[in-house]
Amino acid sequence: MTLIQVIVNSIIRASELALLALGLTIVYDILKFANFAHTELAMVGAYIAFIFNVGLGLPIAVAAIIAAIATGLFSILIDRAVFKKMRESTGIIVMVTSMGVGIALRNTVRAIWGPDAQNYAVPLQKPIVTAWFRITPLQVWIIVIGVLAMVAFYLLLHYTTLGKAMRATSDDPALAQASGIATEKIITYVWFIAISFASLGGVLIGMETYIQPVMGFAIIIPVFCAAIMGGIGNPYGAMLGALALGLAENFGLYINFGKVLNLGGLLPFSKDFYIPTGYKPAISFIILIVVLLVRPRGILGKKKEG
Amino acid sequence: MAFVNFLVYLAIMMGIYGILSLSLNLQYGFTGLANFGQVGFFCLGAYITTIITLTFGLPFILGLIISMVVAGLFGYVIAIPTADLKEDYWAIVTLASAEIVRMFFLNEDWVVGGGVYRGGAFGVGGIPQPLKSYFSAQSYPFFYFMIVLICLIATYLIINKLTRSPYGIVLKSIREGEDRLAQAMGKDVKRFRLKTMAVGGMFGGLAGCLWAHYYGFISPRQFLPLETFIVWAMVIVGGKGNNKGAILGAVIIIIFYHSTRYLKDYIPVEEVTLASLRMVAIGILIVLVMLFMKEGIIKEKKPVY
Repeated sequence: MTLIQVIVNSIIRASELALLALGLTIVYDILKFANFAHTELAMVGAYIAFIFNVGLGLPIAVAAIIAAIATGLFSILIDRAVFKKMRESTGIIVMVTSMGVGIALRNTVRAIWGPDAQNYAVPLQKPIVTAWFRITPLQVWIIVIGVLAMVAFYLLLHYTTLGKAMRATSDDPALAQASGIATEKIITYVWFIAISFASLGGVLIGMETYIQPVMGFAIIIPVFCAAIMGGIGNPYGAMLGALALGLAENFGLYINFGKVLNLGGLLPFSKDFYIPTGYKPAISFIILIVVLLVRPRGILGKKKEG
Repeated sequence: MAFVNFLVYLAIMMGIYGILSLSLNLQYGFTGLANFGQVGFFCLGAYITTIITLTFGLPFILGLIISMVVAGLFGYVIAIPTADLKEDYWAIVTLASAEIVRMFFLNEDWVVGGGVYRGGAFGVGGIPQPLKSYFSAQSYPFFYFMIVLICLIATYLIINKLTRSPYGIVLKSIREGEDRLAQAMGKDVKRFRLKTMAVGGMFGGLAGCLWAHYYGFISPRQFLPLETFIVWAMVIVGGKGNNKGAILGAVIIIIFYHSTRYLKDYIPVEEVTLASLRMVAIGILIVLVMLFMKEGIIKEKKPVY
């Protein structure tokens, strides 16, 4: 594998992770709790797209959009039924509750579709081969959608009234409310945006690999890691964290640590050592630990600690 | 007779999960530490005792002690990066730690010591059961239940003593977010958190050890993160911050979990679907208790001054 191929793979991974980490971090920013049901909702989105794509025979792009809207609305419903009643509770209580929600969601999907992996009805991808790397059209789309979503979010946050209200609510909910911002309405929008993005991420991951009830749980650690790495609550941090994590995961398996240990051949021993692929999920965890030890507030951090 | 065997089996499960629940209650109920990786200690305890007794052929009691020590140390070490941080960080780091433990035993099957340790994805079988030769196959589960019961009572007494001592009062003040109060009393909050994770981890390891010797077979598939949340349901339902509640929660959830197994004899539903529905119920139960019965069945005793 060439170096450029590793970078391309990292960017693909980062685009998927960013869609998920962004939603996690803005929900945290406004509601002050770590939503452990976040990646499960992405999985729900992937299955809703599956109904429309395989069940009803719609093109995957249409199915993905319907799924993003439906999952976004579904998350508002969950908020009304559960989280709204806990606005005054401490973070830990809401966090544990979100874990309960996540378990219920994952197993409901598992009860309906069974535990096995399934595929969308998309034609087999013929990769575009260049001298340095190969990439499938789908992977190009993943990057394009990832970047577009980030740009859209930036525009929303800085050039719309909603964005301004979101930033105000994040800074000081009480003050925002006193200035006439309907914080409950903002919360509704935040859920919709966060979970639609997550659903889109879920569909993209499902298209590149397959969909499975455990797919949400399987990415919970990298997604949290990306959000924490960038400074939880900071949307640009989440994007940066996703990129850093994408690079780390791919380079982690690419680097020959034997060469690193003997300083590129300077020391008189040589033995190849690569991280076994079975440990790929561990890479994000190790990075998480290092970040927490060195910079607990993340790379970009957050303006202030409430 | 089959029914009696089933009851003994249930009682052993209640005992083992009761220990897990007491241990999580010490961490979450009393100290407010969001340990989302309880299954990691359980897994570690099970594998360490297996390596000690099966691979090295050492006696059960050594397996028990060493698995507790290793799991306790593990709890201490994984708490270091998050000792000063908020609960969100605790949750994700402990969750990830438990996954790393499982991943380790899934991937590694090297040769250790005198014997060959064949672990990996297929699991390890033939784990010796303590004093098996002195009992008939019929009476052994009763004896094993006695071992579990003794361990459960010991765990209860130790944790109860701990939480009622001045040490326990410091833990509660940490839980209530009154780090400054604890600091004003001259207590190093960080060290208390680390110690609590170590003590809780020790008992988690004990539960894992008892599990391994009861089943005689362990594999990474038994230690999925879902186990952690079954234990969480026990603590939450029984009543956090109350040791009797933790045990009651274990009893209730175990009865619920195992009684629903027999539903498939009455309603036409597949085993896999039933297993999923059972977990749906546990997830909803956690949400409902958190919404409407935050204190659980047995409320925490608040001291009267």
